[in-house]
Amino acid sequence: MLILISSSLLFLAALVLMTLRMSSANARIAWLVAVGGGALALISVFMWLAQMPFEFSLPAWQPRALFVNPILFRADGLSFPFVASISALTLAILLTAVARPTLTNPFAWAGALALGGLGLLAVTANNPFTLLLIWGALDLVELVAQIRSVDGPAQNERVVISFSTRIFGIGLLLWANIVSVANGSAFDFQSISPNAGLYLVAAAGLRLGVLPLHLPYSAESILRRGFGTSFRLISAASSLALLAHVPAGSLASTLTPFMLALAVIAALYGGWMWLRAPDELIGRPYWVIGLAALAVISALSGNPLGAVAWGCALILVGGSLFLSSIQHVWLNRALLLGAWSLSSLPFSLTGGAWLRALGFFAPFVIAAQALLISGFIRHALRPAGRDSLEAQPVWMRTVYLSGIVLLVALQFLLGITGWGGALQVGAWLHALLASLLAAILVWATPRLRILNPIRAHWVGAAASGVNSVYRNFWFVYRALEGISQTIAATLEGESGIMWTLLFMALFILYLTQGLP
Amino acid sequence: MSAPLIWILLPFLAGALILFFLPEKYSSIAGGTLAALLSLAALIFPIDTALLIGSLSIKISASVAFFGRSFVLTAADGALLSMIYGVAAFWLICAYALDFEKRFAALSLMIVALLTASIAVEPFLYASLLLEMAAMLAVPLLVPVYQKAGRGVVRFLVYQTLAMPFILFSGWALAGVEANPGDFGATLQSGAMLGLGFAFLFGVFPFYNWIPLLLEEVSPYVVGFLLWSLTAFTTIFALGFLDRYAWISASPQISSAIVFSGTVMVVSGGVFASMQKHIGRMMGYAAILETGLIVLAMGLRSPRVVDVIFLLLIPRGLELVVWAFALSIIKRQAYSLRLSEVRGLARKYPLAVSALIAAHLSVTGFPLLAGFPSRLALWQELAGYSLTVSFWVFLGVFGLLVAATRALAVFVMADENASWGINESWAQIIMLSLGVAGLFAIGIFPQILQPLLADLPALFLHLGR
Repeated sequence: MLILISSSLLFLAALVLMTLRMSSANARIAWLVAVGGGALALISVFMWLAQMPFEFSLPAWQPRALFVNPILFRADGLSFPFVASISALTLAILLTAVARPTLTNPFAWAGALALGGLGLLAVTANNPFTLLLIWGALDLVELVAQIRSVDGPAQNERVVISFSTRIFGIGLLLWANIVSVANGSAFDFQSISPNAGLYLVAAAGLRLGVLPLHLPYSAESILRRGFGTSFRLISAASSLALLAHVPAGSLASTLTPFMLALAVIAALYGGWMWLRAPDELIGRPYWVIGLAALAVISALSGNPLGAVAWGCALILVGGSLFLSSIQHVWLNRALLLGAWSLSSLPFSLTGGAWLRALGFFAPFVIAAQALLISGFIRHALRPAGRDSLEAQPVWMRTVYLSGIVLLVALQFLLGITGWGGALQVGAWLHALLASLLAAILVWATPRLRILNPIRAHWVGAAASGVNSVYRNFWFVYRALEGISQTIAATLEGESGIMWTLLFMALFILYLTQGLP
Repeated sequence: MSAPLIWILLPFLAGALILFFLPEKYSSIAGGTLAALLSLAALIFPIDTALLIGSLSIKISASVAFFGRSFVLTAADGALLSMIYGVAAFWLICAYALDFEKRFAALSLMIVALLTASIAVEPFLYASLLLEMAAMLAVPLLVPVYQKAGRGVVRFLVYQTLAMPFILFSGWALAGVEANPGDFGATLQSGAMLGLGFAFLFGVFPFYNWIPLLLEEVSPYVVGFLLWSLTAFTTIFALGFLDRYAWISASPQISSAIVFSGTVMVVSGGVFASMQKHIGRMMGYAAILETGLIVLAMGLRSPRVVDVIFLLLIPRGLELVVWAFALSIIKRQAYSLRLSEVRGLARKYPLAVSALIAAHLSVTGFPLLAGFPSRLALWQELAGYSLTVSFWVFLGVFGLLVAATRALAVFVMADENASWGINESWAQIIMLSLGVAGLFAIGIFPQILQPLLADLPALFLHLGR
C-alpha cells in the first residue's frame, strides 16, 4: 500500500497543479503545492524502510484463465534505491525551479511529478507484465511531450525514431515472455526461464541505446533542464530496473561475451563523447549511454546490485549536474563529490558495482569508467554559461542549493545504508585504477588537443557516425519495399485473380502433402 | 414479440425507412440512436425469460419461422447482440460527425440486420446466403451513383460470391462425413471445400487483395465498416462450424492448416503494411493482420479459444471505427492519403492523427491500448503451441509497428514554425475523444468486457469446454 501512497502523492500533486493552472492561480501557490507533493512523496518513501520487503497488487484482469499474472509491485533492496533516487530527483527538480524564473511553468512541474510517479511504479514492477504497462505509459507521455517541444522535420523525425527504438524494447520484453512461457516457466521475475534472461538484457539495452549502440535521444538540449532531466533520467531508470532482475542462470549463454563486448564499446563511446561534449546538456545522451552501459556490464557479469548502483549514480550524480544552472563556488565543490560516487571506491554509492570478475574486459571497463568520471569533473567545474545566484533573495538561494544538496547527500546515504549494495568494499583495485586514470585525464584535458571539447554543432545524431551506420539498413528496406510493391502490383493487377487461383492450387498441394 | 423481429426485422425496416423517407441530416443520428437502443435492449432484456416490471410481464420469445426456416436468438445471444449493435451505433454516430450521406446509415443498418440474421438462421448453412446478401447490399455503399465500379469492388464481390458455393457444398459433404466418419476421401473433400469457402470469406492470403484496392478507391470509412462487420460475423459463423463438427478442430492436420493460414496472413499483412506509402492501405493490411490473428486463434485447439477470439473481436470493432473515422477526417485534407500528402498534418489535425496512431498502435498490441490484453492472451497460447509460429507472428506484428512509426514520423514532420491548431469539428472532437478513451479503457481495464465475455462461451455447445 505504501507504494500506492508514494506514487499517488506525486500524481495527486500533478493533478492539483493542473487544476490550479486552469483556475489561473498564483504561480507561487502552484510551486508550493508541487514541492509539498514531492517532499511528502520522498518522506513516504523513507517510511518504506520500516516495512520492506512488501508487495502491492491491483485486481487481476479477467478472464482469470487468460491473465495469469496480476499487476504487481514490490518494494525490496533492489527497488528501494531507485525509488529513493527518483523521488529525490523529482523534489530536486521542483526546488531548483526557483532559480529558473523564465520557466515557471506549472505544466512542466506537473509533468515532472507525473513522470516521478510513473518512474516509482516502473522500478517497483515485480513482473514483466506490469513493467510493460508502465513502459508503455512512459513512452506515450514522452512521445507527446517531445513532439510538443520540438520544431522542424529533422527533430520530429528523431523523436519518432527514439520512440520506435523504445517500443522495440517493449517488443523484446514481450518476446522474453513468450520464450519463458514456451519453456514452461511463469513470467515473473522470480521464476523466469534462464533462456529468456538475455532477452531481458537486450530489451533494457535497446531502450537505453546500449545494445546495439545507438542514440535513443537527440543530442541537442531541446527539452528544458528540469523537465528534460526528469525525462531522460527517469526513462533510463525504468529500463535499468529490469537489469536487476536478470536470472543468474541465463548468463551462461555463449552470447553473453558478445553482449558484454557490445556494452563495453557503448561504455567507451559514451564516455569519450561525454568527456568531449561542449556542455553537460549536449552531452546528456552520452552520459546516459555510458552509465547505462556500465549497468549492463554489471548485470551481464552476474551482479544485479551493480546495475542498481550504476542506475542510482545515473540519476543522482547526473541529476545534480544537469539541474545546476547557477554558478556558485561551494556548489561546484559539492558537485565534485559526485566523482566519488562514480569511482566505485569502498563505501561509495557504486562500491558494489564490480563484485564479479570482468576478465578480459576489465581494462576497457576501467577506461570507460575513467572517461565518465573525468567528463563529470570537467562539466562540474565549467563556469561558462551559468547564471549567478548573487542577485537572488536569500530564501531562493537556500531552496535552490537544498535541491542540489539533496541529490548529493542521497548519494552518500545510499553508499552506507538502505539496500544490499550499501557498505561494500567491492573491487577496490579496479576503483583505484579508474580513479587514477580519471585524475590523469582531468589533468591532460586542457593540455592535449584530442581531449578538448568539440564544437556544439559537431555533436549530433547525424555527425556522431553511429547512426549513419544504421542508415545503411535503409538500402535493405528499400530493396524489400521494391519486392513487396511488385508482389502487390501483380496480385492487384488485371491478372491478379489468375495468380490468386495459382496460389490457391499451390496451397492445396502443400496441405495435401501433410496428409496420409 | 420475438427476438428476431426486434434485432433483425426492425433494423432492416428502419434502414429502408431511412433510405426512402428520412432527410439526409437526421439519417445517421437516427440510425445510431436505434442501434444504441437495440444494444441496450439486448443488455437489459433477457431473451426467452419473463421479465416483471411492476405488474407488467414482458417476455421476448426466441424464435420466429420464415418461409419454412426459423430464426433463433437465444438468451446466450444477448451479449453478442449488445456488442454488435453497440459498435454499429458508434459507426453510425461517427458517420453523423462526418456528414455522411444517408445511404451509409440506411444500408449499414440493413447489412447489420442481415448479418445478425446469419447467426440466427436455422439450418445454419443458410448463413452463407445471408452473408452473400449482405455483401451484395454493400455494393451500393462502395460505388457512388452513376459511377463505374472499380477493380477493388469487383474483386470484393467475386471473392465473397465464390465463398458461398464452397460453403454450401461443404455443408452437404459434412453431413455425409457425419454419417460415415471413416470415409477419409469425403472428409478430405469436405475439409478442402470448407477451407476454401472460409479462405474467401476471411480473405486469407492471397484472397485479400480487394482490401487494399478498396481502400485506395473508395471511402475508408465504408471499407472499415465492412471489414469490421463481415469479419465479425464470418468469425461467429466459422466458430459455429467448429462447434458443430468437433472433428474439424480435433484434426491435427486441419488445425495446422488453419494455423498456417493465419500465420501467413499475419506475416504478409505486417510485412506489406511496413512497405506501404498510403495510409489507407496500411489500415487494410492491419485489418488483414488482425483477421490473421483470429484465424490463428481458431487453429490453436485451446480450451480458451472462445475467450481469446472474442477478446480479439470486441476491441477490433473500436480500433477500426476510430482508425477509419480519423482517416476520413484526414482524407478531406489529403485526398489521396499518400504519405507525401499527409506530411506534417499532426499540427493541423492533432486529434485525428492521435486517434489514428492510437488505433494503429492498438492493433500492434501496444501496452495500455485495447489490443494489448487480447494479444497478451494470444501470445500465452501461442507460446505453448510453437515458438516457431510465435516468431513468425512476432515478425508480422513488428512489420505493423514499423508501419505505425513510419506513419507517425510523416505526420509529425511539419515545417519549422508550423503552428498547432485544431481543425476538427466539435462532433469529431467528441467522437475521437470517446474512441481513444475507449481504446485506453479496454487496454487498462479489460475486465469491463467481462459482462459480455462471460456469456459468450454459452453460444457454443462444445467449443472451449
